[in-house]
Amino acid sequence: MTGHKNIPLEERRRLREKKYKKHNLANILTHWFNVGSWLLLLPTGIAILSSPRLGLSPQWMQDMFRNLFGGTANLIRFHYSIGLTWTFVLSFNILVGFRRYFVPFAAHRMLLDKDDIEWLKVKPLQMLGFFKDKQLPPQDAYNAGQKLYMYVVILGTVGIMFSGIIMTFNKVFPPILKQIAQPIHWLSVFAIVAGVIIHFYMGAVFPEEKEAFFSMFSGKVSAWYARAHHEKWYWEKVKEELEWEEEVEKEVKHTEEIAAAD
Amino acid sequence: MAAKKRYGFVIDLARCIDCRACLVACSVENNVPMNHTRIWVHDLGVQGEFPALTRTFVPWNCMHCEHPPCTEVCVSGATYKNEENGLVLVDQEACIGCGFCVDACPYDVRYLDEKRGVVDKCNACLQRVEVGLMPACVATCVGSSRLFGDLNDPASEATRALKDARVIHRVDYEKGDHDTDPNIYFINGNIGESIKIAHPVMMDETSLPRDPQYTLSMEGWKKILVPAIAAGIGASFLVQAIYFTKQLVVGEKEFDE
Repeated sequence: MTGHKNIPLEERRRLREKKYKKHNLANILTHWFNVGSWLLLLPTGIAILSSPRLGLSPQWMQDMFRNLFGGTANLIRFHYSIGLTWTFVLSFNILVGFRRYFVPFAAHRMLLDKDDIEWLKVKPLQMLGFFKDKQLPPQDAYNAGQKLYMYVVILGTVGIMFSGIIMTFNKVFPPILKQIAQPIHWLSVFAIVAGVIIHFYMGAVFPEEKEAFFSMFSGKVSAWYARAHHEKWYWEKVKEELEWEEEVEKEVKHTEEIAAAD
Repeated sequence: MAAKKRYGFVIDLARCIDCRACLVACSVENNVPMNHTRIWVHDLGVQGEFPALTRTFVPWNCMHCEHPPCTEVCVSGATYKNEENGLVLVDQEACIGCGFCVDACPYDVRYLDEKRGVVDKCNACLQRVEVGLMPACVATCVGSSRLFGDLNDPASEATRALKDARVIHRVDYEKGDHDTDPNIYFINGNIGESIKIAHPVMMDETSLPRDPQYTLSMEGWKKILVPAIAAGIGASFLVQAIYFTKQLVVGEKEFDE
């Protein structure tokens, strides 16, 4: 990533001013809807787990939430009502935007390439303090770590949704499914939570990635940030821009020719 | 303030004639589906040498244990021991009918109601007891074999019968971490610490109490999942904590790149 370090000052200024669109409105809204749902679902979910054989949620938390919602049954009702809404909205968004957003997203932003594998080898060692001067390979719109976590999130979300539906509609499903659904439900939850801690830190606190946080509201990042952190994606954007410029030039030339002919 | 209640049954084995009126009364009172019962009368079979033959019938239902193995496997607390009256109850609004508790109960007194998708069991007719009536099985018992009352109250019928009893047995389950301390006292009959039921329908012998059973998914959680989760979340928290501390120490500027 030293590629951007020798860019002269003037160019850097220009890049800092220039914005590229990274997230569309659908992404942004879905992201914040997801955040809101998780904020409601995670604490109530943890509070439901009261078995002392698991020992996962503290007694005060179980009591507090049970008192807050008026008993175990109401707490569970709240949890699955929000959960079903969450399931519905996310599935709806993905189905509605399947061809326009999801397929291109999956095809262009999620697949791991050679550079990503290299990144995965080097980055963890760098975090531990080795090979500090070794260059990291250029990254796509999402780096290899983000891509890997994306698989965890997608698989986990599907796991949570299906196991949650099984436990919610307890009249329909046989006991064996309800038994298996429980560990699946929170194995998925906690796999995601383990990553969310890093995701939250990187997105909202870590200074180098500050732009990523604001891009989740505006949808835009500066060209400088793109150049420094997501080089491959940056060049793609530049290419798109150049193509657009060519188009415009052609168009302008064409209208001028017509005007001249008249 | 009065001491906490400890509701329990006292069952006079000498008086039970296996008429099973209690089963009917219970099923009617509690809308128990036709293919299940909440309570049972076990038959220990004919014992002894002719002419000194005996036959004991053991009325059987939830023991409302002091330390029930069933409530501690319930993930959501849908089944719990009521602190006020000592009864082990199921909140069927919260229960999803996964059946962990059915496997864990050493006395086999819970069943899965397939139609409603919940677990059902004896609740000592709490709806009757709260308005001062006896549970349906006790009220209907022809020979007064079944008695019910607050075992902490020395004046209750059950306690007085217990005091006058010739023999007292409890089918206690003590093994490993478990000590159930059941709240059914069998009096005036010899059934010992465990009972061997010659099952009249299935023609095989069952021993109660049995060991609590834990399904693979229940066991897997504790042994693999919980440590794995603790390690995963702990590690990821640690990483961000280290980086955050570093960030606080180094400081940041607007034009940091």
